[in-house]
Amino acid sequence: MFDEFRQIAQSISNEYIQNEKKKGSLCIGYTCSYFPEEILHSLGILPYRIKGINVSSLSVADAAFGPFICSHPKCLLQHFADGDYSFLDGIIVTPGCDSMRRIDECIRKTAVNLDLPVVPPFFFHYAVPHKITEYSIKWLVEELQRFIDEVTKHFSLSFSYDALKQSIRFYNQLRAKIEKLNSLRMEQPPAVSGADAVAAFVAGLSMPREIFLQKLDAFLSHLETQPYNNRVRLMLIGSANDDVELLSLIENDNAVVVADTLCYGPRLEIDYVDEVDEPLHALAVRYLNHSHCPRMYGGYKERKAKVVEAIAKARVDGVILQNIRFCDLHGAENGLLERDLEQMGVPCLRLEREYGPLADYERMRMRIDAFIERMEVRRYVCDRP
Amino acid sequence: MRQALKQYKFDWMLWRTYEAGSKLLAGTAQEYDIALRYIPYFKDPVKEVYKAKAGQLFLEMTATYLDNIVNAHQRGKKTCMTTFCFSPAILYALDIVPVTLELLTVMMTFLYKRGTFEFLDYCNEVGFTETSCSSQRGSMGALLADLGTPIDMVVTDSPGVCDTNANAFSFFAAYKDVPFFQLNMPPWLVEERVTEYHVQDYKALVAFLEEQSGKKLDEDRLRQILKELQKQDELINELEQYLCYKPLPLPVTTCLFIYAGRFMFAGMPIYTRLLELLVAEGRENVALHKQGINTSHEKSRGFFCYIDHYTHSLRLWQMLEELNIGYAGNILSHFWAQSNPPVVKYNCPESAYSINTNTLEDMLTSIAAINSRMPMIKSIRGPYDSPYMWLQDTLALASMYQADFIVYNGTPGCRNTWGMVKLLAQDTEKAGFPTHIMYADAFDDRVQSWDATRDRFEEFLRVRRLI
Repeated sequence: MFDEFRQIAQSISNEYIQNEKKKGSLCIGYTCSYFPEEILHSLGILPYRIKGINVSSLSVADAAFGPFICSHPKCLLQHFADGDYSFLDGIIVTPGCDSMRRIDECIRKTAVNLDLPVVPPFFFHYAVPHKITEYSIKWLVEELQRFIDEVTKHFSLSFSYDALKQSIRFYNQLRAKIEKLNSLRMEQPPAVSGADAVAAFVAGLSMPREIFLQKLDAFLSHLETQPYNNRVRLMLIGSANDDVELLSLIENDNAVVVADTLCYGPRLEIDYVDEVDEPLHALAVRYLNHSHCPRMYGGYKERKAKVVEAIAKARVDGVILQNIRFCDLHGAENGLLERDLEQMGVPCLRLEREYGPLADYERMRMRIDAFIERMEVRRYVCDRP
Repeated sequence: MRQALKQYKFDWMLWRTYEAGSKLLAGTAQEYDIALRYIPYFKDPVKEVYKAKAGQLFLEMTATYLDNIVNAHQRGKKTCMTTFCFSPAILYALDIVPVTLELLTVMMTFLYKRGTFEFLDYCNEVGFTETSCSSQRGSMGALLADLGTPIDMVVTDSPGVCDTNANAFSFFAAYKDVPFFQLNMPPWLVEERVTEYHVQDYKALVAFLEEQSGKKLDEDRLRQILKELQKQDELINELEQYLCYKPLPLPVTTCLFIYAGRFMFAGMPIYTRLLELLVAEGRENVALHKQGINTSHEKSRGFFCYIDHYTHSLRLWQMLEELNIGYAGNILSHFWAQSNPPVVKYNCPESAYSINTNTLEDMLTSIAAINSRMPMIKSIRGPYDSPYMWLQDTLALASMYQADFIVYNGTPGCRNTWGMVKLLAQDTEKAGFPTHIMYADAFDDRVQSWDATRDRFEEFLRVRRLI
């Protein structure tokens, strides 16, 4: 099962998307975990979380973006320029961070400058506030309504609150399964490796969710014991990651990533959507409160508390704090976490990396291996009578 | 960080130096010349600033700003760490002392040959990213190292506009465990719900400031400050008209004085006096048909579409003068009142603010609008080619000032502009403005030396036959 998840996670398109397209379904891509898929699902549109994996050149992206920009949005742009996202009927750009929000201009201008059909027909700039207040939730509700109005008008679709409520219920069921999978990683010994769990999370964002639910269900009911005993238990924190290879690099033979806070994953808390509340308000509350991203300024204490809780729950030996170069939001928060976690006796490794093809694979492996050795020595010392 | 740097509080050092600098003209010309020999690094900025008649007052104003910071607690006032693109008027209305990181950084880079290098690096030592913007890091490093007045609260208004800016303030607040408030900016400007959001957010800010300072907002004091701001806007409007003349009748440092003064003392009488002096010099030069720069004649005119270059000795302004280039300001010298010349010329009052002092509600609506039109906050919030955003403003201002070319200068930490500046430059070139992108760091010469920056700039001017 995980082989299939890996295959889907590590490719841009897959047979499920192709089948949906053959059936005439619409597919819309989005760039940030603050967008509620439930709305697309209720309209019968396949939601797709845009990935940047497997890029082999940044020729177009480097020309559009400046040199001091995170390589993740650059890889997304390159895929668009290379035509890899031609199956998308729309794109939703979110100001998740400064680098990511500039995808808006870069895609549009690349299309004009290179005369390429890279901009999907439907284009939406989704404005998410950086704080949680009554008026920012109201703003987000209005923003969701604006999206519904535009997408239904563009594709001549009809929206219904009943369908949205059904989609909310469906996504809550899906979240329950993901929560189960996430908790299996945290067990002692873990039943799933970090790479396999991340593969499932990422694959789930690029295939019809009903099929994903079926496959996840099947996997969870036929779970076999995995040989992850006695491995160093790590937690992975920081910049967005859709690349399963990063997890494989970390885990190698000696470690297992038992928890993470990564975008593309469930993050630390599943956060169900309130099924009783008015649907758009319930979605706005859930997505704005799901604030494990440092884009929500001033929320460090809350995020740290959740990390500390997960460290205890998953019996984490050490934490890897990684950030993609020029990702200042995670980079700076990693600095704070390193100070605070080390003070609490949790060993940390700070790692700056490039996104995409693991250009600095060996450098990273050497540092990660040294860190794992530190954990092993620590275990040995602690276990001595 | 070197031990020697820890001997004195950095804000106290700056205060004493600027205060001494502001008194250099108090003696005879001979005494002034002799004094310059004893300040080998400071003499160039001093000489450059004193070329304008408002120069002495500008230095006095800077010294007063620093005095306020250094002695805030002794005078029973709270300090608020904030950013250049946040209007300090509301802080003055609540008797809170603004500590604006970017201003302190520039005050130090102007003075010292080594700039703020060690404070920049200290930020990284304690965990902040080296790729973050140097404009905040320069002075934040000193405050993280407890080498300045303790900070009582942190306020930023850049979320939605500039991540690295907002992130610096939220990092400091978390690191030092200081109360933090952020104003959010939606990606659009002209829309009813955006205005409503700005006002609600601003009211929440006032509540936060009242709670932190223990003082209630004084309506009369706010009215007085806003009326002073209106006066200041009128004076800036007149200066902007002079900036359209060819040759420029204003000293090369005029725009620097306009924005630095407003960032320090928006709504305060001392800034009005500075503007009055600048206007008087402009009027006099216009009457005499005299140009503002001290060299032969203006060969070419540039508009900086982002910020200036602030490393040691005001070398950017010196260079512009040496090359006989008229300097028509940058994104920082515009505050977008409805009466502002570009707003009037391009007939877009909806994108600008007006000041209404009738009721408290009117005043809060006005000040929220002022704040949401601050430099960078107004035009970098959304896609650069959206209405009233960076491209439109740049082309409007460059055309109005009759600029011959456009320059982008920023910092490698500026994710929000580096994500689109290449595209902007393509569009400004298409519109007929030769455009130069500087790869320097406006606050850190170690990224690219000033010599290299100047060489490349001159090469651009020669290749494009602008000089």
